[in-house]
Formats: sequence, C-alpha cells, structure tokens
Amino acid sequence: MVELLAPAGNLEMVKAAVENGANAIYVGARGWSRRRDAFELSDDQLHEAIAIAHSGGAKLRVAINTNMQSCEIPALLEKMEKFVGWGVDGAIMTDVGAMAQVHRRFPNLVLHASIGANIVNNQDVKFYRSIGVSQVVADTKLTFRELAARQAELDAGIEVLIHANNCYTYLGKCWMSPYHRLERTTDNFGKDLFRGSPNRGGLDYRVCLEQWELFDGEGLLEPQIALKNDAFFYLDDIPALIDLGVHCLKIQGREYPVPLVASIVRFYRELIDACLAKPADQPFDLTPWRLRLEAIREERDSRRGNMTLVLLNEARQPVPHTA
Amino acid sequence: MGSFELNTTISNLRSLLESDLSAYDAVYLGNIYCRLFEDNFLERTDDLKEGIARVKDQGLRAYVTSYAAPRNDALPKVQIALETAAAAGADAIEVHNLGVLRMVHEQFPGMPAHVGGFANVYTDAGAEVLKEYGAVRFTPNYEISLDEVESITRGAGIPAELQVHGKMPLGVSDYCFLLEYEQHWPEKCPVLCQKQLFLKQGDWAMRSVGKGVLSGKDLCMLEHLPALIAAGHTMFRIEAAYETPAYRFQIGQIYRAALERAVAGDGTVDESAWQVIREHTAVGLCNGFYFGRTGSEYVGKRVEAVAACS
Repeated sequence: MVELLAPAGNLEMVKAAVENGANAIYVGARGWSRRRDAFELSDDQLHEAIAIAHSGGAKLRVAINTNMQSCEIPALLEKMEKFVGWGVDGAIMTDVGAMAQVHRRFPNLVLHASIGANIVNNQDVKFYRSIGVSQVVADTKLTFRELAARQAELDAGIEVLIHANNCYTYLGKCWMSPYHRLERTTDNFGKDLFRGSPNRGGLDYRVCLEQWELFDGEGLLEPQIALKNDAFFYLDDIPALIDLGVHCLKIQGREYPVPLVASIVRFYRELIDACLAKPADQPFDLTPWRLRLEAIREERDSRRGNMTLVLLNEARQPVPHTA
Repeated sequence: MGSFELNTTISNLRSLLESDLSAYDAVYLGNIYCRLFEDNFLERTDDLKEGIARVKDQGLRAYVTSYAAPRNDALPKVQIALETAAAAGADAIEVHNLGVLRMVHEQFPGMPAHVGGFANVYTDAGAEVLKEYGAVRFTPNYEISLDEVESITRGAGIPAELQVHGKMPLGVSDYCFLLEYEQHWPEKCPVLCQKQLFLKQGDWAMRSVGKGVLSGKDLCMLEHLPALIAAGHTMFRIEAAYETPAYRFQIGQIYRAALERAVAGDGTVDESAWQVIREHTAVGLCNGFYFGRTGSEYVGKRVEAVAACS
C-alpha cells in the first residue's frame, strides 16, 4: 500500500496532517533540516510530535538533512539517541558520513536519503544502499521511465515528491543563493544556521527567480531570462505511480499555513483512496480532481510568489560581519 | 610529484592542442556539465585516448573527469570513458557522482579516484566513507570554508585539492536554457555555451554555460597561497573548462611562479600579475566560501584590484 507522507512545520500541522489522512509525517529538527528554523521543531516539540503521530496511527520521521560540519556530527548523534529513544520511525538525511555513522549506531532505524542527496541514477542508489539507506527520495527531474527502472531493478524504497519545487539546478548541487548572500548565525544551542545556504541551513534566497538579463562581451543579448523553476502538483501521474508500486508519495510544504497543508493532505488522501478503490478494468476520471486542485494551487502560488519577493529583497541586504 | 601540484581542466582535444601547459603538473580531461559540449572528451573515445597520450607525452599526469550529474542513460557512455581512461593509462578518474565512484571502485580497483566538488564532501565522516571506495583525494564542496577543509583532511586523513583560480561552480542542471534563445544568435549549440555569457541583475552576475551556472567573478587565491602552503595544502586547480588557452596559460604561469615562491618561503606577489588577472576577469574577483563568507566577497589586501575590474 502506497504511503502518503506529509510535511509539518509545527505541532498544529502534525495534528492536521494526521487528521487529514497522512500515513506518515516528517518534521525538521531545529537547525538541522532544509528549512528555516521557524518551520522546524525543538527537541521537546519533536517528542510531542512523535506521540501525536503514533496516537493517530501515523509514523513520524525526522529530517536532519542539512550538510553539517564535521564538528557537528557528535551533537547530531546525541540528538538521534534521544529521538530513537522516543520512538522516531525514520531519519531523512543527506551527508553520507553522517548517514553511515547513524546507521552504525542505530542499525534498526530506517534511513531515507533526502532529495538533497541528489540521487540520479541506479548506481547511486546502490551506493546509498551500501551505507545503510533503505529509502530514497527520487530527484524531481527523473522521468517515469527512470522511476520504473529503479523500481524494477533495485531493492530500495522509492519516494516521489508529488507537491514540490522543480528547480533549474539539481537540488543539493546549487550554491547560487550563498554566493550572493551568506550570513553565519548560531542558534541558542550553538548550531550554525548558514543563513542563505539551502544545503546547510535551509534558507534559500531563490536568486534563480530574479529577472535576469543575459549579456555577452558586447552587450545585452536578452532583456529577460527566466531560469526554469516550477512548483508542481502531481495529478495525472498519481494513478500510474500507484500502479508502478512506488513506496511513498511525499508532499513538501512545511512553510505553508496549516489550513493549506491540511487541504493538500486531504486532497491527496482522497485521490489515492479513490485510485485504489477503482476497479482495475475502468479508467480513472481525473476531471473533478483537476478542478479541486486548481483552487489549492492558486493559494499556494500566491503565497509562494510573495515569499519569493521577500527573500530576494533580503538577499540584497548587507551581511553584518562579526569576523 | 614535486612539493605541489598545479592542475587545470580542458574540455576537448582542440582546446588541449591550443594550450601551452608548461605551468601545469596535471590536466583533467572532459567537460562535466554537458554531453553535447563541442567534442567533449567524455563522448569521444579516440579524442580521449589521444588527449591522455598528449598530456603524458608532456610529462604531465592525465586525469579523466566524469559528469557532475549523470542519469541512467549517460552511464553506458561513462562506462566507455572509464574503460578508455584505464586502457590509455590515465593517472586518475575524477568522480562527482557516488554511483560513478562505485563503478570505478568495483571495475577498476587499482585506479585512483579523485572526488570532485559536486560529490558534496562536507564532513570528515563523509570523506572516510569515500576513502573506503578508493578516493585518494577530494575537492571540498564549494561552499565550505578552509577551516572546515582542514577538519576533513585532519579527521579523515585524505588530502584536499583546492580550486585557487577561475570561475567557481554554482550549480548544474539537466536543462540548457540557452537552447530556448539560440535562434536569435549566430552561434548555436554545441559552441554557444563557450561564449562569455553572463546573467546579470543590478550588481549581481553569474556566468552561464547552459547546463551549468558559474560564479560571475573569478575565484582568486593568489595572495593567500602562502597561507595555503603553510596549512599543508599541496594540490591546486585553475578551473578553465570554459576559458581560452590564453587564460589557461597566463593564469597558470602566475600561479606556478607564486606557488614556487610560497614554497620557498617568499610570500610576495608579482605586482604585474594583477594586471594580467584583471585582463582575464570580466566581472571581478572573489574568494568563494573559503573564509566562511558570502561566496562573491573578496577578502584580502587587493581590494583595489577587485574594484578596478568590477
């Protein structure tokens, strides 16, 4: 049975995700995941989130998927000791060294290779399997044919993002944002937040979405260049993904308001259930689902557009130097 | 190897034949961004064989690189490039993708692997894992500082190769947006991306190479070489995959001389070198992330040099 995995940026969202039908929820450990700290949970909140999820029959995964510093790995292992003791169901990670150490220390913990690991081919999957990863988030650029090959040839669970962002660059292989602004700040627990680096601290200034002009050595070539960067919702592909046997359909969006995330989770819960209930010999009519999704998309796009403007403005602010 | 290694990158045989490599100890052959790059070594077996032979005939080490983000459909071509490199006597393979590292480790167990910057080495624990897969050196992820590099080399016991000059990678894509516009321009794929194309907005600038985004400014560590030598670093790269043979030659000469002085304990910089660097720099200079700051910043005494070419 395919799993619906929902995001949660706070405890209220954990509850909403459970109530609206998520099979599993992921939350970020504060300072350690690919989102701003405002959308991450403290250790105590994470403990409570595990209890909320489990009481609703859902699993709770913790995202600790920043690319950390060498000196931070002992602190990470201490955190994981707590989370595992509290019954967390899995960890979403990126750094191969941190993954290998977590696997050695907690061999029964399910490890998920994050989207930031940028696993783009089947040999990649085999590499990550060898260090203890059992589930792999598929890069958003992979085609259905590539997913099918992965499903057929490998023994790793496949997670597919059904609401996320398709950047111009590969996720985990982009440094455009910190090239333009990087602010080193530490939180109350000494964790470096690397403000401006999506790979390290979770805040991405989205500089790729600037209205770029293209110049060559002689002058302006094109007055307006848009680097492709699309937020997407899967709809037409959902029945085929279920038929393919992917393990998990994952929604991104910890930074959105609780009601919006709740409506996205409810939408996909009902869509998946309808797909599964459909007699095999009948076509699945997506028309009513398309209309419903359009309303969700409008709200998402409005919020995303506003946030992009805020981030681009912040990216141009000077960095206070402490060094 | 002498007391240090200075190497550079070359994408195809034409550029190799046009380049004076007298400043260098080693060369990476191949273009990591795009399979369609003009006569990319990684797509042309005969050119790769000839390239390796020509580099080695000059007494240099020949390294063969591999793609930054190869999908399944590229792996057969990667396999052929690896086989060619091994048969032609390449001295090492550079890998940016951990699946390719696995291929090298399993199929060519004696072949040294250099882990490239796109492989995302951020921690000593990560480097230790890659050592078990045959990595003998690594280029740190582009966004980590020299302090972090030191913690990796010390903790994992594996040396780092540092880019010391040239445009720094800022991203890789599966999609070339230049193809959307090429009908407007006389140059077409596969040579269009070799034009000096810059994405600009206000005072921001990035070099575009279609499927890759590079820093607009040239990373320049010239005045910091004595500190790098003092810290124990011995392997340095001039990134020039999209640069001219003149850039490769002149910048290489400057760094060779500066490194030799630094190794001898002379930390001075030839003032005339800055004029040459300025001539090869369209937007300005930066230090990347080596000092833990915004990647486009320049830290050092040469602020006037940066201002002059900004």
